[in-house]
Amino acid sequence: MKRILRRNTLILIFAIAFICGVGYFSFELIVNAESWVDQPYNAHVSGSGGLEQAGVIFDRNGYILAETSDGVRVYNENPSVRLGLLHTVGDNSLNISTAVQSKYRSQLSGYNLIWGLNMPQSMRMSHDITLTVDAATCAAAYDVLASYGKKGACVVYNYQTGEVLCSVSTPGYDPADPPHIDETNESEYDGVYLDNVLSSTYTPGSVFKIVTSAAAIENIYDLDSRTWNCTGEKEIGGNTVTCTETHGEIDYKTAMSRSCNIAFAEMAVEMGRDVMNQTAKKLGINDTYEVDDVKTAKGHFDVSKADENQLGWSGIGQYDDYVNPMQMAILCGAIANGGTAVNPTYIKDGSGDLLRLIGFKKPKEHNLMNSTTASQLDEVMRYTVSDYYSSQRPGLFEGLSVCAKTGTAEVGEDKKPNAWMVGYSQDQDAPLAFACVVENAGFGFEYACPVADAAMKAAANCLRNGG
Amino acid sequence: MPDLSIIFDAGVVGLRILLPIYAIVIVYQCYAAMRRRRRSEKPLVTLCNTQTGSVIPILFWENSIGRSKASDVVVSDLAVSRNHCVLLRRSEGWFITDVGSSGGTFVNGVPVEGRAQVLINDVITIGSTDFEFRRGEEFQAPLRSSWFFSKVSDKPAMKAWKLMLMITLFHFFMAVEATFWNDGSNPMSPMVLFGALAAVEWGFFTVTYFALRRVNFELESLALFLTGIGVMLLVRQVERSAYIQLIAAAVGMVMFCVIIKLIEDPDKISRFRFPMMFVAVGLLLTSILFGKITKGAANWIYIGAFSFQPSELVKIIYIFIGAGTLDKLQTKKSLLEFIVFSVICVGLLALMGDFGTALIFFVTFLLIAFMRSGDIKTIILAVAAAAFGVTFVLRFKPYVADRFKAWRHAWQYAQAEGYQQVHVLTYIASGGLFGVGIGNGFLKQVAASESDLVFGLVAEEMGIIVAVTLALSVALLVIYTRAITTRSRSTFYSISAGCAAGLLVVQLSLNVFGATDLLPLTGVTFPFISCGGSSIMSVWGLIAFIKAADERTYSIKR
Repeated sequence: MKRILRRNTLILIFAIAFICGVGYFSFELIVNAESWVDQPYNAHVSGSGGLEQAGVIFDRNGYILAETSDGVRVYNENPSVRLGLLHTVGDNSLNISTAVQSKYRSQLSGYNLIWGLNMPQSMRMSHDITLTVDAATCAAAYDVLASYGKKGACVVYNYQTGEVLCSVSTPGYDPADPPHIDETNESEYDGVYLDNVLSSTYTPGSVFKIVTSAAAIENIYDLDSRTWNCTGEKEIGGNTVTCTETHGEIDYKTAMSRSCNIAFAEMAVEMGRDVMNQTAKKLGINDTYEVDDVKTAKGHFDVSKADENQLGWSGIGQYDDYVNPMQMAILCGAIANGGTAVNPTYIKDGSGDLLRLIGFKKPKEHNLMNSTTASQLDEVMRYTVSDYYSSQRPGLFEGLSVCAKTGTAEVGEDKKPNAWMVGYSQDQDAPLAFACVVENAGFGFEYACPVADAAMKAAANCLRNGG
Repeated sequence: MPDLSIIFDAGVVGLRILLPIYAIVIVYQCYAAMRRRRRSEKPLVTLCNTQTGSVIPILFWENSIGRSKASDVVVSDLAVSRNHCVLLRRSEGWFITDVGSSGGTFVNGVPVEGRAQVLINDVITIGSTDFEFRRGEEFQAPLRSSWFFSKVSDKPAMKAWKLMLMITLFHFFMAVEATFWNDGSNPMSPMVLFGALAAVEWGFFTVTYFALRRVNFELESLALFLTGIGVMLLVRQVERSAYIQLIAAAVGMVMFCVIIKLIEDPDKISRFRFPMMFVAVGLLLTSILFGKITKGAANWIYIGAFSFQPSELVKIIYIFIGAGTLDKLQTKKSLLEFIVFSVICVGLLALMGDFGTALIFFVTFLLIAFMRSGDIKTIILAVAAAAFGVTFVLRFKPYVADRFKAWRHAWQYAQAEGYQQVHVLTYIASGGLFGVGIGNGFLKQVAASESDLVFGLVAEEMGIIVAVTLALSVALLVIYTRAITTRSRSTFYSISAGCAAGLLVVQLSLNVFGATDLLPLTGVTFPFISCGGSSIMSVWGLIAFIKAADERTYSIKR
């Protein structure tokens, strides 16, 4: 009998192993419960049934963007605010996966490990969230952007704190009345669930000259004394590169302010594939940034297989260059900040332990360039605005000393170009970086600039009035 | 009337918090009752060495005597064989059997042939040592008993009928919760099912208490508690299966009683060995010939509306054939007969192609082979052979390999092979500590949620506390089984009980960890709770062995 008892120890080991396994599973459950709950198929929190218990979403000044009243989710009464912040706040359909209401719906609904999602509706403890966005700025930017009827995006963020003040994406729809999209109207709503600020990439065109400039500052030693001859077009690598104007004999600073393609194409060819690839890599063009659990769309720059003509075109943001609006805003923020960018965030505060539940952390910093390069870019981008843009459009960025670059990116024979404007203000009381893009619209200065102008003025106004 | 609805909601939440605490109390009470009403640790008889005068206490019903250190009575005499003889207690008295010693065993100078009776004051001669067979009272020194039975408080265990009442009340609360299901349809059906369940529970209790006159009911109580939870969970899922499950459980209870009766006399069990082997092979052949192929495995037999998995019953027969009394174990030189039978069984299972069942069978084989022989080398050899076999299976049966593909990568294959596991994880986390309430879960919409994924279903609807409590209540049967090992009336019972408990834990582990992606999902059932007629019958059959190993089952009547 003693022998059997001893052999029974094997079975005891099984039981102990089982108990250890249960312990390990409990540990996994405690660590991962929130991410396990936050799944699109989780029927406990999907549909408006999940949002019925969600808390209030405020903007930075305490305006209510979305709240639940008598079991119904209601959105801000101002249609421009509703539509402008659709992709940031979200709607009842939860189709916009990057919106706060979609990604944090279980936490907003009061999920915690102890109670799970089991509370009857009258007893759920929901959480409120305060976003960094300013409703008025978003509405102002949306009104201008939406007036074109094109796809586009506009983002403005504080490059010192990382707080996003304005984030608008078109096309959108009214979250109070989400459309039913089927085969008959899907072309009308194409790309409507995509937040173009975070999740789209566009051909950059001339805004990419900032990257080429950064490379030239570090690699062409007599840059300031150099001149280029622009005759409107030039044969580079057996094919032509065209310019919008005939600039004649032109120096680096003027080439930037007048956006001379010939000068920048020649710079790119002169520096070569490796330098261009390295600079693009260092400036994070091929990288993604994680903004509140959402990874931004990756840009693209790779000239390893480009011929000389393509290398020239790549230096002026054509070839197969792609950038994401948020990424461009971060790049501008880095220039303004002496080379180091603060990662953007949309989250300012939350009630109870919401910030802990969603795993909110202090924004990270990214070192994109050295301070010398940043200050030279700062100088030339400021010159671009003061020398050229301000004279063309009186009252542009009034009250702000803005450094910027526009872009008009050709995207094909039968399509209008993408209009771009990116930049930042130097003002210490309004440290704002921005990026605006309007797809297939026309000249950057004509279409993106008014959006940027409206957004920057409104955002500066918000900050200067203590918001 | 907003205030009333809040009071109602508070009541619902209160009930959900109450149930986990209540479940813990019930499981605790079941185990507390197992510890009580035991005979005190005293020697049954003693052997007095006539040369030295030292007194050796005989503690067990079956005792091996020999020079080996592992013997129950160690005789350090070079003329004694390592395994010399076996001293057994039967209802007719004490017997001694020589197990092939070189020098032989003598009672009062007469050589022992087969089994010889020993009376008080007889002299047993082993090698050059003489023992006088004396009463147990001769030995006065205190004995240390297993920790499970020591330090038991004097408070008597809860009365069996009170424990049963508590369990029935628990099931009633489940029915109440299920009645206030979100959409409120069929408000009566949980109560009707509860009525049927209570009838089965109390029917079984009445039979055990009055007809079989058993003094203890705690193992049955625990099994009824778990079975009832499984049945009540089904009411808001597939109501029809709840009744089928209940009927199958009732059949299982009958099987439980029959098996206990069948193995009452450990010496007569060997007579059933060959018929049982034929039944087992017959059952397996039936499922190959008439089985319907589901998910690539021909394991199910359909008789009218009922489906049946014969391999579940073969498990019980397998343990039955593998175990044996101590004298038989020590005389029989080889496991040959058992191994031949095992090879036939595993071969038939391979033809069926059910991976989960084959795995459980293999584990049963390992357990019983180890419990019989204690030979770790054989076990390692068998595992190596099995690993070889599994590699072949994975090569030729790609759908089996797919299960392994998703293992520990369930989120990567969330739309394909990991679909079930990620739903389990999401809904376990959604349930929190106290669950969303019976019938309010969404895991029930996932295939096999009531069987393979039932741990997740319990955790979602009743909370992780209940789910873990139920799992541990099954796992702890091992502790109980181990504690009663040396007090069993024969090694037949302690071996079979050990195997049964081990098998329950292995099934439990494969089910719980398979569903939660800690192990590959193999489609093994959670004992008592998973829906499945043949599964519930077989677990009731398995615990019959544990029940039989408890000496109180046969020795004490009310």
